[in-house]
Amino acid sequence: MATYLEFIQQNEERDGVRFSWNVWPSSRLEATRMVVPLACLLTPLKERPDLPPVQYEPVLCSRPTCKAILNPLCQVDYRARLWACNFCFQRNQFPPAYAGISEVNQPAELMPQFSTIEYVVQRGPQCPLIFLYVVDTCLEEDDLQALKESLQMSLSLLPPDSLVGLITFGRMVQVHELSCEGISKSYVFRGTKDLTAKQIQDMLGLTKPTVPVQPVQPAQPHEQPFVSSRFLQPVHKIDMNLTDLLGELQRDPWPVPQGKRPLRSTGVAVSIAVGLLEGTFPNTGARIMLFMGGPPTQGPGMVVGDELKVPIRSWHDIEKDNARFMKKATKHYEMLANRAAANGHCIDIYACALDQTGLLEMKCCTNLTGGYMVMGDSFNTSLFKQTFQRIFSKDFNGHFRMAFGATLEVKTSRELKIAGAIGPCVSLNVKGPCVSENELGVGGTSQWKICGLDPTSTLGIYFEVVSQGGRGAVQFVTHYQHSSTQRRIRVTTVARNWADAQSQLKHIEAAFDQEAAAVLMARLGVFRAESEEGPDVLRWLDRQLIRLCQKFGQYNKEDPTSFRLSDSFSLYPQFMFHLRRSPFLQVFNNSPDESSCYRHHFARQDLTQSLIMIQPILYSYSFHGPPEPVLLDSSSILPDRILLMDTFFQIVIYLGETIAQWQKAGYQDMPEYENFKHLLQAPLDDAQEILQARFPMPRYINTEHGGSQARFLLSKVNPSQTHNNLYAWGQETGAPILTDDVSLQVFMDHLKKLAVSSAC
Amino acid sequence: MAELYVKPGNKERGWNDPPQFSYGLQTQAGGPKRTSLTKRVAAPQDGSPRVGPPPPSRPPLVGSSLSSTQPTNFPVVESETLLEDVLTPLEQALEDCRGHTKKQVCDDISRRLALLQEQWAGGKLSMPVKKRMALLVQELSSHQWDAADDIHRSLMVDHVTEVSQWMVGVKRLIAEKRILSSEEEANEEKSTATAEQNQTVPGIQQAP
Repeated sequence: MATYLEFIQQNEERDGVRFSWNVWPSSRLEATRMVVPLACLLTPLKERPDLPPVQYEPVLCSRPTCKAILNPLCQVDYRARLWACNFCFQRNQFPPAYAGISEVNQPAELMPQFSTIEYVVQRGPQCPLIFLYVVDTCLEEDDLQALKESLQMSLSLLPPDSLVGLITFGRMVQVHELSCEGISKSYVFRGTKDLTAKQIQDMLGLTKPTVPVQPVQPAQPHEQPFVSSRFLQPVHKIDMNLTDLLGELQRDPWPVPQGKRPLRSTGVAVSIAVGLLEGTFPNTGARIMLFMGGPPTQGPGMVVGDELKVPIRSWHDIEKDNARFMKKATKHYEMLANRAAANGHCIDIYACALDQTGLLEMKCCTNLTGGYMVMGDSFNTSLFKQTFQRIFSKDFNGHFRMAFGATLEVKTSRELKIAGAIGPCVSLNVKGPCVSENELGVGGTSQWKICGLDPTSTLGIYFEVVSQGGRGAVQFVTHYQHSSTQRRIRVTTVARNWADAQSQLKHIEAAFDQEAAAVLMARLGVFRAESEEGPDVLRWLDRQLIRLCQKFGQYNKEDPTSFRLSDSFSLYPQFMFHLRRSPFLQVFNNSPDESSCYRHHFARQDLTQSLIMIQPILYSYSFHGPPEPVLLDSSSILPDRILLMDTFFQIVIYLGETIAQWQKAGYQDMPEYENFKHLLQAPLDDAQEILQARFPMPRYINTEHGGSQARFLLSKVNPSQTHNNLYAWGQETGAPILTDDVSLQVFMDHLKKLAVSSAC
Repeated sequence: MAELYVKPGNKERGWNDPPQFSYGLQTQAGGPKRTSLTKRVAAPQDGSPRVGPPPPSRPPLVGSSLSSTQPTNFPVVESETLLEDVLTPLEQALEDCRGHTKKQVCDDISRRLALLQEQWAGGKLSMPVKKRMALLVQELSSHQWDAADDIHRSLMVDHVTEVSQWMVGVKRLIAEKRILSSEEEANEEKSTATAEQNQTVPGIQQAP
């Protein structure tokens, strides 16, 4: 229904929230029969150029077990100066500052258009942002030079007050002491032995002195009153020396014998970085940025040995239990990730190499802390350089988009409980009356920590319906450190109506958000895939789809041809079909590192981008009219069309056979065929718009019919036409795909048969 | 004004490396999109794909009016950016800072300016770098700190290989000049305020 689509879109624009169901089933039993759980995608820091933050602190409900924040759903008695909390019904007195409010003079947080509002918190010291670079020096000369230049360039992009530090590693790990004068010093650690946080802090001289500190000189006018450490100095003080230090970095001096890999002590390097920040700046926003050009090959956290003839583990090895280092390495990095998350620090990994680098074992470092994972072929590529630059991109106010140290708290009205969250977060283990015992994702809590986030970071939050009451409501409260170092609180309060599933199923159906549901189910699937066998996850996904079709399809029993789905469900089976074939659930043809990287990005993107990842967008350019979206199907591959496919990770431009021939013949250079030149240019311009903004930078493939790189397109489209059914339609339409994969038509046929069968 | 351009990616190192956008283009991105490519088409419920007509042998012709949309290229005479035009104001700015900034920092900046001179004179710097440096110096002389800073950033992003060794000195110089001039302004304000106080007649409100 058009009105629900508008409603869904308006709510997403205003609140950054998309629910799978917008009218809620009123009993627990009925809710489980809906198949798709009641859940939402929340983008806590959605960019709102029209929402200036208010410069006062939020008003809280006085009940200690509630503490919900004043919001537009609260009943207000202006004369008595009271407000009733809509979550616990406690009557609260307004604070003295609100003495002047009335029906015509409402504070912003009571107005319906401010269902999402941001507060600036004034108390507490403002801590600078911290960036700790951890750099692998076992790189080829060109790569190291390119990486050094990128790091030098980043010093111009960092805010002048932020603190920066440098750790380099290869066989040994070097922590560089940053100073403005004299000889540069560094502390060298062996890469083979892990150290505890305390040992690291002792060896670096970070333990607090027991004698009182001597009186310091009067502070310079522009110097921060904040303590900086010898290893982490403000950019404005240290940029010249650090530029020189970076410029002088050499490749790891230890010679690498023939047939061996360089000895890389990544595990100890990250451990020292985490320990250093733990000891100097706990509980303040910081990024550990790890740059590596190959896998860890020595010490704790090693992923492969140094013999080149023993390859790094593949999915096949893992399935056959033949990955000797995997469990121990994963455990090591999980321990570090948890420590970093506990301190509010996030860890980024920038891995550029032609072979795998151990992202499978290290993924918890980014996934638990909200850090970024970037996978490239070399540091000397535009993909790495621009992706890295975009981390420092600024919003319309000139502030960094990145934010730190966020805590998300979810409050629900009595009829709902919280089952869990899936996204770049860790649990804060906060129990309470609104925490469900049934866990979906990271459960058993109503609060999570997200140490690193940006305006597109999105969490999937899953609920359980327990009863029915008034209007169901949920409040999302995100405390975070803004990049300007201000502490802010973003509050979003939403409500939806209930309906009885027996008598009002049509209402519930009409308010189904198939896009949000697809992404939320996909996140559940990918979450399962981390611990279950691949085929089991696919079977689970299929079962859910069949049940959904049985419940909401219109059909006559045992008659598959009668099966119909209403508009609000029409795209859902397609999404599930493409999800089953996606690299998130199909590991075939991807290395474990690639699968980890794809899953990492999937579990944090907003709805639009997540859908692109599940079912890539395909647009067709022709002389017949403006560019139009077409089915992701082999029948869309036509000789006189140019196709633009966006899979999120790749942008593919594909010239149909005839178009390619015309281009070879040079028609675009003849003035009488100028519109052909425009036709060729149109997809390039549209691709450029996507490439200019997306993070991470996608790969760019410009290919044509018969080109080897056409495989990127051919592997994604639904193979409605294969070598098996080439002559079924009578006339050749589109290119046949050489595959034995099931097509969407066959998939739908099977689905209909199973849905209408009374045996299921 | 920063240049807006797109270079191809590094095809040797990454065969599907995306194109590289200049700093100017990247900072521009974020405005409203022309075309939002996010629509999808539902699969037909009965499952048969469409059949289209076969393509013609040539692309369709444009209409008879051969309106050339390409502007005629006037040969642009580029005046050579002189080293002195850039270096002299920078050295002057450094001199201004000497009383107020630490000796070590001034020496560091001075060393880098010498490096800039060496590279420029040795022909190691490309035309866009020289042009943009001239712009930077102009902004610096007009006390437009943010604009100068932005130009330095655009040079670091787009031409890091050429400028990385000495650009950080220029960056520091901009920062020091900014601090110096804001201190001077503060001192001026204080002295004019005290001068005004001595001049105001008690009892008469001065319009702000």
